[in-house]
Amino acid sequence: MKPMILVILLVVLAVIFNACVFVLDEADQAIIVQFGEPRGDIISEPGLKLKLPWQQVRRFDKRLLNWDGDVTQIPTLGREFILVDTTARWRIEDPLQFLRSVRDERGARTRLDDIIDSVVRDMVSSTELEEIIRSQDWSVDIGDLEDPALADRDDLDLQQKPKLGRELLEQEILQRARRLMPELGIALNDVRIKRVNYIDSVRRQVENRMIAERQSIAERFRAEGQGRAQEILGEMGRELQTIQSEAARQAEEIRGRADAEATRIYGQAFGADPEFYSFFRTLETYRTLGSNSTLMLRSDSDFFRYLERSQVE
Amino acid sequence: MNKPTSIRGGRSMEGDFAQLLGGSPRKAGLLIFAAIIALIVVWGLLTAFYTVQPEERAVVKRFGAVITITDPGLHFRLPFGIDQIQLVATERVLKQEFGFRTEGVRAGRTGYSAKAFEDESLMLTGDLNIIDLEWVVQYRINDPIKFLYAMREPTQTLRDISESVMRRVVGNRLGSDVLTVGRVEIQLLGRDEMQQIMDHYDAGIHIITVELQDVVPPPAVQPAFNEVNEARQERERMINEAQKRVNQEIPRAEGQALRTIAEAQGYATERVNRALGESSRFSAVLAEYQQAPEVTRSRLYLETLHEILPNIGQILVVQDDQLSPLPLLNLDRNRAPEVQP
Repeated sequence: MKPMILVILLVVLAVIFNACVFVLDEADQAIIVQFGEPRGDIISEPGLKLKLPWQQVRRFDKRLLNWDGDVTQIPTLGREFILVDTTARWRIEDPLQFLRSVRDERGARTRLDDIIDSVVRDMVSSTELEEIIRSQDWSVDIGDLEDPALADRDDLDLQQKPKLGRELLEQEILQRARRLMPELGIALNDVRIKRVNYIDSVRRQVENRMIAERQSIAERFRAEGQGRAQEILGEMGRELQTIQSEAARQAEEIRGRADAEATRIYGQAFGADPEFYSFFRTLETYRTLGSNSTLMLRSDSDFFRYLERSQVE
Repeated sequence: MNKPTSIRGGRSMEGDFAQLLGGSPRKAGLLIFAAIIALIVVWGLLTAFYTVQPEERAVVKRFGAVITITDPGLHFRLPFGIDQIQLVATERVLKQEFGFRTEGVRAGRTGYSAKAFEDESLMLTGDLNIIDLEWVVQYRINDPIKFLYAMREPTQTLRDISESVMRRVVGNRLGSDVLTVGRVEIQLLGRDEMQQIMDHYDAGIHIITVELQDVVPPPAVQPAFNEVNEARQERERMINEAQKRVNQEIPRAEGQALRTIAEAQGYATERVNRALGESSRFSAVLAEYQQAPEVTRSRLYLETLHEILPNIGQILVVQDDQLSPLPLLNLDRNRAPEVQP
């Protein structure tokens, strides 16, 4: 046996092997296509598989796939323009149908774009913004609002429970979009709203509103502070007056009582002999005459009585 | 040995090659064959072993079909690509950041990207206000086969779902709630919902925590929010200062009041005591006077005059029939007494 022939034989075997045997990955499902036409059942079990050399293998992902829509600008029912970004999960359920209708994933994505975008646009434009943002179990305790600005907002109804809310809205979108999926061989698992935002001009408006709100709250705080401070100082003034006048009153009473007592004592003592008191007291006052006083006496004053003679009647 | 003849006139390839090697053509062929076999064997050996690191597990596929998961260590597999290995880090805690990015550790401190990632972080609250929310999702891959084969892009899906869930949870709350007391609830609710959805996809991911980082009003509005805090503090400050003044003035006034009263009491005591003193002195003198009235009266009178007259500046005596007075005593030592006729 010539070695060369062995090698050539090996090569030929390899080529045949390559043409008749293929590997199906865990992640894939496949259809055998013969001269452009699908043959046989869908192969979904992974492993080593056989086919005829003139047959081709079309592989499709078996896994759950991601779809991410473009950010679209949609007006809500209340004419607020918002930017909506949705995502969805889908699967190639029927590769045969899939192959026939969209051929490959790129085709599928284009169709998904159209269908889901259109459904989302319809739903969003017929729904109020609050319904899109809030969920079914939205509840607010009006009496317990921490943010004082909320009570003043008249563009909002805080109490109103959403008819659908976010989750149910997403489910409704899913139901509607699903209707068109079977003919594509696609199973739509879910559609979710990833992002919702205002468009720039509306965002600026909202931000300005938020700023104005905060400023008015700040003003309120400052005014409260001033008011309360004035109140306290006013109270203080009143109390000060009370204290002062009370004290003055008491002091006067004490003085008055003392004066009365003194007068009584004097009266009692001096009243025993008023004439003598007058004499005695007057003598006392003479003691105040001093070096800056000038005294004018008559020559027949008592003091001079004995100046000229020694005996006087 | 017969030399094989070739069509090309007497020389053959094997013959030439053999002559090069210095051996027979058959031996040469065998050598080439052996070399190829050796190469194949070596290549086979190289691809027949693989290592799994401690934080990983390996998913082994044979002819494309998953057959087993292997633990850390050195393992054997069928070579030549028959067995394929996919390494999955199942023991490591992985994280996804939203609204910000960590950019490595510099000098012991974590550095953050300067970009804002506002697309991820800005969202609407239930009262239609805008809020800026950053968060981190920490998760582990707890089923490597599911992680690889249930979804094509499990990590990207996790990110999309995380954003969707956070927006739903935040959108169902008031803005003031989210900024303050709602943080813990949002984290827990967010984690549970994300896990529920990822389980629904059977993605093989276990979400450990959802942690909120910065939760603030959007940048344009932040100064106004700060102003509210400052105003609140200003209010407290004004009230405190007024109270402080009260606490100073009232005690002072009370002290003053006590002093006023004490002064009055002092006056009272002094007044009464003086009265008592004076009147008792008078009564004593009176008693003496009543014993000997004439004498006492004269005595008192003369004593008084005796005391005061020397000190009086000028005494003028007027006689009945005289018009101008006579100075009696001269107390002004600097002046010579004037005698008037």
